Amino acid sequence: MATVRTITLPHYPSYPIHICMFRDVTNAAFLRSQLLEANPDFDYAFLDPSMILSPSHLLGGTFLALHASLLSRAKTRTPHSELVFRLHPNNNIGEAYRKFGISDSSTAIIAVKLGLGPEVTNERVSQHLGEHVQGESVNVGEEAERVGDWCDVGKVRKVYKLENPKKKGGKKGAQINGVGKEVDERREMESVILGMITLKGS
Amino acid sequence: MIAIGLEGSANKIGIGVISHPSSNKPPIVLANLRHTFISPPGEGFLPKDTAIHHRAWVVRLIKQAVQQAGAKVSDVDVICYTKGPGMGPPLQSVALAARTISLLWNKPLVGVNHCVGHIEMGRAITHAQNPVVLYVSGGNTQVIAYSQQRYRIFGETMDIAIGNCIDRFARTLMIPNDPFPGYNVEQYAKRGKNLVDLPYTVKGMDVSFSGILAAADLLAGQISDDVSYGKRLKSEEGDLITKEDLCFSLQETIFAMLVEITERAMAHVGTSQVLVVGGVGSNERLQDMMGLMARDRGGSGFATDERFCIDNGIMIAHAGLLEYQTGVTTSLEDSTCTQRFRTDEVFVGWRD
Amino acid sequence: MSTTNMASTASDAQPPTTPPPTQPLHALPQPFTTSNLEVLTQGAEALVYKTTFLTPSTPCVLKYRPPKLYRHPILDKRLTKARLLAEARVLVKCRREGLSVPAVLGGDWESGWLVLEWIGGRTVRAVLDEWVHKFGLRARDGKTSEEEVKRELDEGLMEVVAEEKESQEAREGLMRLMQMVGRAVGKLHEIGVCHGDLTTSNLMLRTPERKEVVGRGPPRMTVSAQREAAMSGQDPPEVIPVQQEETKETNSLEGDVVMIDFGLATQTIHEEDRAVDLYVLERAFTATHPAAEHLFQEVLRCYGESFKGAKTVLKRLADVRLRGRKRTMIG
Repeated sequence: MATVRTITLPHYPSYPIHICMFRDVTNAAFLRSQLLEANPDFDYAFLDPSMILSPSHLLGGTFLALHASLLSRAKTRTPHSELVFRLHPNNNIGEAYRKFGISDSSTAIIAVKLGLGPEVTNERVSQHLGEHVQGESVNVGEEAERVGDWCDVGKVRKVYKLENPKKKGGKKGAQINGVGKEVDERREMESVILGMITLKGS
Repeated sequence: MIAIGLEGSANKIGIGVISHPSSNKPPIVLANLRHTFISPPGEGFLPKDTAIHHRAWVVRLIKQAVQQAGAKVSDVDVICYTKGPGMGPPLQSVALAARTISLLWNKPLVGVNHCVGHIEMGRAITHAQNPVVLYVSGGNTQVIAYSQQRYRIFGETMDIAIGNCIDRFARTLMIPNDPFPGYNVEQYAKRGKNLVDLPYTVKGMDVSFSGILAAADLLAGQISDDVSYGKRLKSEEGDLITKEDLCFSLQETIFAMLVEITERAMAHVGTSQVLVVGGVGSNERLQDMMGLMARDRGGSGFATDERFCIDNGIMIAHAGLLEYQTGVTTSLEDSTCTQRFRTDEVFVGWRD
Repeated sequence: MSTTNMASTASDAQPPTTPPPTQPLHALPQPFTTSNLEVLTQGAEALVYKTTFLTPSTPCVLKYRPPKLYRHPILDKRLTKARLLAEARVLVKCRREGLSVPAVLGGDWESGWLVLEWIGGRTVRAVLDEWVHKFGLRARDGKTSEEEVKRELDEGLMEVVAEEKESQEAREGLMRLMQMVGRAVGKLHEIGVCHGDLTTSNLMLRTPERKEVVGRGPPRMTVSAQREAAMSGQDPPEVIPVQQEETKETNSLEGDVVMIDFGLATQTIHEEDRAVDLYVLERAFTATHPAAEHLFQEVLRCYGESFKGAKTVLKRLADVRLRGRKRTMIG
């Protein structure tokens, strides 16, 4: 059994989001092969935790993917592939999988399962992932707040082409209001990223 | 009290006689005559020719109006004329006529702002209490709301007037000017069905039409039979775009702009009434759109028919008489006219 | 769009079901329902609601541009989409450049909605109104004639305000606020954006918040009832309650300035557009109170120093003032 956190997005209460985090994973190659074979039993979004900045980052992409799928506007095959696609700043699906998906050598994984039907329950997801992911399941917290813990902020910044505020000699950012207020870097990044993924493709 | 009104700021000369019965009874229209100078298709009306037209008709119309009103000259209390805004030569012709009868009959003069004439007539006819007014004609495009003794302009065109835009497009398509180009464009538009993309230029509460006219003129060049089939303008379904489609697209676009800025003004001043005045206000599609918007805001749209929304003498008589009743007259020396005369320059002494 | 058959036959004669005129019907776009929305404003353009997004503890603003029935459906879609996108693009651009504006959290252009970060605090308009109110009382106490009061307001208000230590602090706080406003507008213009509707109601003084790391802990934005009052156009309350946890260190003028409502914003570097932004703001200040003009001078001073080219915008502002917004038109 894996520790699965089930979250409901405001406004989409009938579609719970099941989130699970693993470390020391040894069979990433197997999981990836199941995705490539489009095995219906492995309909998950397997994400690289180093690319996930925060819960809102993950949930923002999830909301957009779910919304697009429910309105039949998805650009990819499944709602889960749509999630991987939505996280990426441009429209290249392969690139999205390379950047946000897992590789054969991944040792850490965030697994997301959208509750699109009544058969998808916390228990079933927990059981299935526990059986097939070889690694240690980690508690993501009440509100999945630990989802951003393994983030590589530099990598994320690069993918979204965000400038590093520290390199700007303090001219921008918090300085504009005249107060040398310390900015929460991650929060600033998250704010921009949510906007970028919302705007993408339009 | 009885007033005679002389209007001639553009290509119509209008003579009206109105009576304001004592107390709060509604005004009575005793006569409302008009004659329009119509230029050939593809041409607009030139100021000089228009002035000649007005001079030729003014005496005849005044005589006829007084006769129709069943009034004696001695019954008339005041002579009202359009001071502006409008085209110089036709304004001058009519102001001259007003001065002449003022001296002949020994009656006071009141110079009236043409736009205020439209607004007051619209209010009188529709009984709209305090509406946001959309004033749309060949020379004007304004969104107006009353506040503290002035009709204040909330939004307006930044370049040409909407009626001018429609008239000029009619010329491009060689649509006849009789009875007036806007009417014919409206009939064409009723038969159009394909919406062609045109620029949409709203900035705050202001609008601009010159870019749209230029774009529409360009498109008009692509629907002519002289153009080879392959290069003809087509709809997404592959239908050939017609004159009717272009008229339809032009109307849908520019009217939507007008309704949008009007709605913004209504939200700003917090009213749900809207009144459309001016010649373009006779367009049924514009009236429908305005009504839909007003209903959506829980209010209602008001408009007058072509007797009152197209330039006429009765509105000048009515607004002039309202002003006269507050004790204002225009002395002979001051009885000039002016091409530029903003709506908000008039002190509205007759409203609370 | 539903297609209605204009020529209905006698057999299927049903009275047309038109919505009652006083109750405009706006079906909310999926996934929103009225149950979890609180109406903030019903403008001409958009319906604005308060709700939550992504997590139940993340307050946000939902902006919905309902279809305009009067517009041709194709034109309506085109405009709604273009405007929402323009607004979202400007906001993201601003955030990228480090400006204080609401973040874009989500949106759907086809359906006509946009979700923005909630900004807690008060509008600058509310701050000014409160200041005028306080000062008005103070001036009236010792004065007899209306004229004297007026002159006092026009000329010597700063001295009068500065009579007491408390007032001194208030004055400094106000000046700091004006400086922040000037710099914020300057920064906006510098990055090539003009707001298009820069009134004091579209400037927020954001309540200071406690530091938190993204992804941890309780709600991130402070929620303020002041905001709702300001947005719905009600009079601001006279006493401004301060966040309880922060009573010690926070006076009501602390915080940073956030620009909101970019519905009419454009990406432009034209001096004229920039000058008009300032002109609109100036009029909003003077509409609050004639005395607020003094404060606005400080806004302009800081604006002038905020970026290269700001000085020429100030020169252009003088032209715009003279001309007014309205031109004399040929009839």
